[in-house]
Amino acid sequence: MIRLIGALLLGAGGAWLGLLAAGDLRRQAGDLRQLEAGLALLEQELELSAPPLPRLLAEGAERCQGPARALFRDCAQRLDRLDREPFSALWRGAVRGREELGEEGQALLLPLGDTLGRCDVPRQREALSAARRRLEELAARREADSRRQGRVYQALGLSGGAFLVILLL
Amino acid sequence: MTQMTAAQSCEQALRVLPLRLREEGRALPGAEKSRAEELRLRVGWPMSVVLEGEERSLSGPPVRREELEQLVEIASQASLHTVLDQVRQGYLTVEGGHRIGLCGTAALREGEIHTLRELSSANLRIARQVKGAAAPVLDRLCPGDRLADTLILAPPGLGKTTLLRDLIRSVSEGEGCIPLRVSLADERGEVAALYSGRPQLEVGRRTDVMEGCPKAQGLMLLLRAMNPQVLAVDEITAPEDVRALMTAAGCGVTLLATAHGEGRGDLERRSLYRPLLEEGLFRFLVRICRSGEGRAYAIEELR
Repeated sequence: MIRLIGALLLGAGGAWLGLLAAGDLRRQAGDLRQLEAGLALLEQELELSAPPLPRLLAEGAERCQGPARALFRDCAQRLDRLDREPFSALWRGAVRGREELGEEGQALLLPLGDTLGRCDVPRQREALSAARRRLEELAARREADSRRQGRVYQALGLSGGAFLVILLL
Repeated sequence: MTQMTAAQSCEQALRVLPLRLREEGRALPGAEKSRAEELRLRVGWPMSVVLEGEERSLSGPPVRREELEQLVEIASQASLHTVLDQVRQGYLTVEGGHRIGLCGTAALREGEIHTLRELSSANLRIARQVKGAAAPVLDRLCPGDRLADTLILAPPGLGKTTLLRDLIRSVSEGEGCIPLRVSLADERGEVAALYSGRPQLEVGRRTDVMEGCPKAQGLMLLLRAMNPQVLAVDEITAPEDVRALMTAAGCGVTLLATAHGEGRGDLERRSLYRPLLEEGLFRFLVRICRSGEGRAYAIEELR
């Protein structure tokens, strides 16, 4: 009986590890989607009222979720250091602080620091829109990865567990 | 609104400078801070300060181009899009009414200045309000305690805008006269210096300000929208401005304006100003002249 419970636990543990790995990919895709929505909000606010950057970021931080909220809030706080560093450097610092976006996600956002607040509204909106489209592509890739690799991870986890059960029995 | 001392005003203006230059400005002796009129930044040269018209180089390292860019970024709160119209005209108003003049390579679009790139120099003019500047003339300009149509005439740099601002403030506050609603067409933001919707220089509680709009259009808009008792404008420079003033005069509004010139002869000679006299738009002409280190006002009745 104890052996049977142990075997079941090992099998379930393997499957759980597989699910965990697939969940990571799904969460990354979700973060990218939230960021995409955040950029869309900034774009929309710029079009509606073209507020100064501190207000735009504060608005974004208030109305967005997840990593978008954290990024905008961090960046708004960093604006206090504008007399020491240019905005592009402050933005880069804030983006690099968001590890959950992964290197690819960060790389998509970094160039925005050279445009936000430094150009006229149409060019800022263009840059936001371009970054948003690329984020959307990346999120779609991550989602596909999570579906495909998720099944693989789950199968691997389950069969790993089963292999261990056979070995131990 | 709290009145700042000259040194406090200088300190406030210094806040828009990048850290290194700000520290350099802060190191100025207190007396010089009180007298400082401008700080001038030219790429490749140390920052300099203008004291009573005289420019003196400070001893710091040369100003870098990046520092000028940073100055614009700080002054605009990293929001160039909110001040682009001003930048296209070569200046930028910041909190406190201080003004940054900009120079560099103009980027044109369809023959118009789109923006300035490759900045080469900047000039930070420290705003100072001379409260009470209008006191010596107020009694004469307010027969029966009510402001009459007044034109202020002087060459550049003699304080036309300063006198206009204080007249507006006095009339709006009812200091020494009946309080009146004043509407001000402040095209370049030199009189009230709006910042985030608030005048940075005191123009009184009954004053409505229209900034950034061509003077003639601004005057008409104010006349229609704000029901003013006094309509004020700085620097009549175009025939449209004169036409707008004539329309306003026909509506029974008191006019308060400034113009460039030495004396009444200029008004008679220049075709732009002649209609002002012919139509009898103004009752009083105030001329400003230098008197030793100060200013003297001469008031003439035109009608």
